[in-house]
Amino acid sequence: MRGLLLGLASGTACLASCAPALTPFILAQGQSLGHNFRLLAQFLLGRLAGYLVFAILAWSAGLALGAGRIGHLVPIGTVYILLGGLLALYGCLPARETCAAGLATRLQARLTGSHSVVMPVLLGFLTGVNLCPPFLLALTEAARAGSLAGSLWFFATFFLGTSLFFIPFPLAGLLNRHGAVRLVARLTSGVLGVYYLILGVSMLY
Amino acid sequence: MSAPTTAALSSALAIRTPWKLILAYLPMLLLTAMMMTGGRPISPDPLEWIPLAISFLFFNILFFLMLRTGFTDRYRVILFSTMAFLFVIGFIANLIEMRGSMALSESAMAQGETPFCHMVIPVTLIPAALTRTIIFPGHLLGGFAPIAGMVALWIGASLALGRGFCSWGCFYGGLEDGFSRLLKKPLIRRIGRHWTYLPYAILLAVVLLSAATLSPAYCEWLCPFKTVTEYNEVNNFRTLLQAVIMVALFAGLVVVLPILTRKRTQCGLFCPFGAFQSFTNKVSAYDIRIDRTKCVDCGKCAQVCPTFSMDADSISRGGTRLSCCRCGKCVDACPKQAISFHIKGTEAGASPKWSRLLFLYPAFLFLAVFGGSMVQWGLYRILLLLSTGSMVK
Repeated sequence: MRGLLLGLASGTACLASCAPALTPFILAQGQSLGHNFRLLAQFLLGRLAGYLVFAILAWSAGLALGAGRIGHLVPIGTVYILLGGLLALYGCLPARETCAAGLATRLQARLTGSHSVVMPVLLGFLTGVNLCPPFLLALTEAARAGSLAGSLWFFATFFLGTSLFFIPFPLAGLLNRHGAVRLVARLTSGVLGVYYLILGVSMLY
Repeated sequence: MSAPTTAALSSALAIRTPWKLILAYLPMLLLTAMMMTGGRPISPDPLEWIPLAISFLFFNILFFLMLRTGFTDRYRVILFSTMAFLFVIGFIANLIEMRGSMALSESAMAQGETPFCHMVIPVTLIPAALTRTIIFPGHLLGGFAPIAGMVALWIGASLALGRGFCSWGCFYGGLEDGFSRLLKKPLIRRIGRHWTYLPYAILLAVVLLSAATLSPAYCEWLCPFKTVTEYNEVNNFRTLLQAVIMVALFAGLVVVLPILTRKRTQCGLFCPFGAFQSFTNKVSAYDIRIDRTKCVDCGKCAQVCPTFSMDADSISRGGTRLSCCRCGKCVDACPKQAISFHIKGTEAGASPKWSRLLFLYPAFLFLAVFGGSMVQWGLYRILLLLSTGSMVK
């Protein structure tokens, strides 16, 4: 219950934290409302996986080090580099299929094909393992849970509370009827990718 | 019959009758005198009255030439670039006088001593609307360049001029506008149309990042103009990276590319404020129209447009793209006099002289008032340098 309440209380901050990764993707990929909800579900699935990985880390770190030092264990710079790389790659991929045998087209099909789940799940996972302020709070609470099941349960309910704030996102995908919006979304993804790459590199030093 | 020259045709917008010229000119003379002096008696200190007199004459002579010759951009760019270069001189000297350095320390930021500039308006407004938090570390009221003052000025200018703000008020735009005039012919001509959407992408990116981090992401990482104003104190790897990015953006987008392309590349291909400002073109009373009955599709306007705001598609529709900065360069360049400033709701091409005059008055007055103080400020520092050997007291 405490996880759910924390998620509900800090959902806007979580939303703001995930929005840079999710907004350009939904804007560029979005089709019908149903398709957009499917993309969101895949993103949230990836995010849940990230949360559960953290739940295990939080429980084990809580046992070993105490809740206060958990943040130092996470190679956040590396996560940002991976997220940045993924966003930049997505931004660079051609919006339309070009040469069928080309590497770009094959990558595009893998990452952004209408049936591909790789991109939204990866984006969700990489944003899920980031340390936004409410997430740090959740991490500390989970570390105090005492058991692995308690830690997992806390994160699962925290995830549920924050996920409610993502429900309007598929509507954004409806804006992309205009080709310019899709182009801007792709470019945004590239810009954000470069930003996260640089931010990640700066964190490693 | 040989094609008439651009200069001869543009002068069709000129006011030639002496009494009409005086009538059009006199109100601006009085308005600028009132606004530049602030209604106060002129100081006997030469360091104050000389910059005031020079800037008053400078602005008014060029406005007279605009009216007399019918050219807009030709004289606007002189004022606009002078304002920008003197702003930089005045601002840097002021910073050094106040802080002893151009670097902005973390303690100064924590105390809210960062001067606010219009570039961060979009990234400040959206988080403020969503979270009721002003993410910029500056004064809301009072102090130097407060947030509320700049926002109020921006709203007024945007309602009147739309994105004309970028060609008549932005004290950064004049730098690249000046650099873009250095070569007679561009060395780089072809820039893909898709790059003109990059400012909108950067706008979306910095808005999302500012909302996520509750800090002005644009100022921290992307502002090219930090190079010539104030920058974060370089004291670790992260601030070093930020400084390198900003200097590279300034050198590339404000100096080198404008020289090579004869375009305002920072404004047209990068500036998120410009992208945001483009939407205000929808609410302002003015726009640029092409009279399709006169247009011969020569493409001269698209060729000279500094912000990539004209292309075959917009020309065929008889107007500009959303990003038009109302600089007037296309109006000056059109060999058929087909392009004119236009007041929305009136017939296209009707009374081009009147339409131009009705646009010129608010635009020029804004430039004279906003830029006049910057020109005075810069001139004061130059005079101080000449008289004392130092730009700072």
